[in-house]
Amino acid sequence: MPSRADASGAGAMIAVSDLRKAFGPLTVLDGVSFAVAAGETVVVLGPSGSGKSTMLRCMNFLEPYDAGEIRIAGELVGYREDGDGRRVPRSEAEIARFRERVGMVFQSFNLFPHRSAVENVMMGPVHVRGIERKAARAIAETLLAKVGLAEKMAEYPARLSGGQQQRVAIARALAMEPKVMLFDEVTSALDPELVGEVLLVMRRLAQDGMTMIVVTHEIAFARDVADRIIFMDKGAIVEEGAPRELLLNPRAERLQAFLHRFSGGVAES
Amino acid sequence: MFHVLIISLPYLLKGAAITVWLSLATISLGTLLGFALGTVGAVGPRPVRAAVAVYVFVLRGVPILVVMFLGYYVFPALGYKVDAYVAVGAAMVVYVGAFVSEIVRGAILAVPSSQIAAARSLGMRRWPMLREVVLPQAFRLATPPLLNTALTTVKQTSYVSVVGAWELSYAAREVVERTLAAFEIFLGVMVLYFIICYPLSLAARHLERRYAFAS
Amino acid sequence: MGSFAELTHFAERYLPYLAGGFAVTLAIAALSVPLALGWSLPILLCRLARRRWLAGAAAAYIEVMRNTPLLIQMYLIYFGLPLFHVFLSGFMCGVLAITLQHGAFLAEVLRAGVESVSARQWDAARAIGMRSRTAFRLVVLPQALVKMLPPLGNQLIVLVKDTSLVSAIGVMEVTLSGKMIIERTGGSYEVFVAVALFYLTMTTALGAGLRVAERRLAVRFG
Repeated sequence: MPSRADASGAGAMIAVSDLRKAFGPLTVLDGVSFAVAAGETVVVLGPSGSGKSTMLRCMNFLEPYDAGEIRIAGELVGYREDGDGRRVPRSEAEIARFRERVGMVFQSFNLFPHRSAVENVMMGPVHVRGIERKAARAIAETLLAKVGLAEKMAEYPARLSGGQQQRVAIARALAMEPKVMLFDEVTSALDPELVGEVLLVMRRLAQDGMTMIVVTHEIAFARDVADRIIFMDKGAIVEEGAPRELLLNPRAERLQAFLHRFSGGVAES
Repeated sequence: MFHVLIISLPYLLKGAAITVWLSLATISLGTLLGFALGTVGAVGPRPVRAAVAVYVFVLRGVPILVVMFLGYYVFPALGYKVDAYVAVGAAMVVYVGAFVSEIVRGAILAVPSSQIAAARSLGMRRWPMLREVVLPQAFRLATPPLLNTALTTVKQTSYVSVVGAWELSYAAREVVERTLAAFEIFLGVMVLYFIICYPLSLAARHLERRYAFAS
Repeated sequence: MGSFAELTHFAERYLPYLAGGFAVTLAIAALSVPLALGWSLPILLCRLARRRWLAGAAAAYIEVMRNTPLLIQMYLIYFGLPLFHVFLSGFMCGVLAITLQHGAFLAEVLRAGVESVSARQWDAARAIGMRSRTAFRLVVLPQALVKMLPPLGNQLIVLVKDTSLVSAIGVMEVTLSGKMIIERTGGSYEVFVAVALFYLTMTTALGAGLRVAERRLAVRFG
């Protein structure tokens, strides 16, 4: 059981404080603050438009943010602090190197269609980490076996089912040996029968001690795997807490309404 | 430095006038031919459609210069003495016709079948339907590629100089062979062609963008 | 036309010239295609560059190539370079002119391809720590090439047809060979029918090859 990060975020793997972002007149993130300890799995729930995906994208700086701080392993994400004020954007090289330590899996898998599964997983090790091809292939094969796709190694994404593609995407992210894994609604685009195989891989990852932030609609997964659940709406955190309490006794009305819509998943199993 | 160009300008501009005239003639006749062939190539009886397809295939597979040479030598062989302009002009019309025909055919076939279904359910007959529903929409789809074809045709009028007809490029080469001021003359001629072509180029791209949003 | 004997006699005498012309045309095409493709890449990179002046310069270059005839560009190179004491053969001038013009057109086709590659591919590449340069080279450009194979192929077919233009600067490729034969024999248009058939064969073969390539890629990438 990982240690809780305290409110100040000290000692946390991920520390977000007062994160703000607007797209023109539209406020997407309205002062989000939370911390994630090493080895913790945090699930983020919320209706669409609540800013959860944007927040995730800010964490590996695929989106810049306007105010507040995101620190991963103590380092400020995307910017560096200069002498007096703040906000000097980091160079592209620094940001790229930072992203090596943060893995992300997307809703639409985003596999490279012109490469086979094993080659997709090898892309990072070979072309970013500079590992020699043979060694990279060994890493890739191990990871693909770990996600249960050893026999599909040489297949191209077009020949793989959605669930298989997503598992390759997870392996591709893991090939970089990240400290943190970010999951952005990774099962939302999948047919129901294929969701389970992906959630299983994620569950095992959590058990192995990976620090994870999972944005999802899968309430059962949240209940069983999360160390903590965060509920977001309209760009802010509405409620936060241990899965049992939050799901069985939701305090905020909006959370109650949200769970009601997805109540089918919670009552079962 | 450019004074050879300035002195030769009147001569070159006469050539440019021929270029413009030749372009207008071949583009308009070629477009008419292409519309006719493209329409029957899309909706006509089978053997006609096959014939049009063969015609298009052959002409698109051969360089326009070769078609021009063919035109130049075919008339005397058949016993007709014609002006060089008529010979190469006819060749260009046939060539442009093939490309326009393919564009028109494609545009007609690209009109959504839902439009045709709607027209039929109103009881429209074939020809009125074609005239009122299909062709106007096909025309809108075809306009950007047609403008591009017009642009290409203007540039291709320069090739008639290789076959022996006098226009801007022929005039340019004459001047250069006489004065050896190759650089300034050909640069100047490039500017002249640019002035003639650029409006077409802009129009084509403007319409492309407009229709990209509309559809 | 004449009897069959006349025809074979004619073929005997002049086929060697035409054959020589075929070879030269093939050589020009074989050289220009890879050169034009190669030249299109730096133009593409400049056109997509973040620095305004670079993108503007590339756009201006492409615009000039788009709005002026290849013939004049060829004349400019052939007659203009000697003035700077650069002496290239007609063959090389032709290849150079074709490369310069078609490089611009190919760059535009590729640009459409690059812009059509989904932003999500960029996301995925950057998420594993790739820099823009690497992502472009390994992820985006290959997909653009595959997507744009049909228009690219068509543009290359136009390139092959444009090789006929070097006849204007005296290079003895197949079109000029045909013209020369007619002038020598006082012959007629049939020679150009043969020339036309030659080009038709080349463009048809290229078109067929293109479609085979398209089908193979569709199987692999869906």
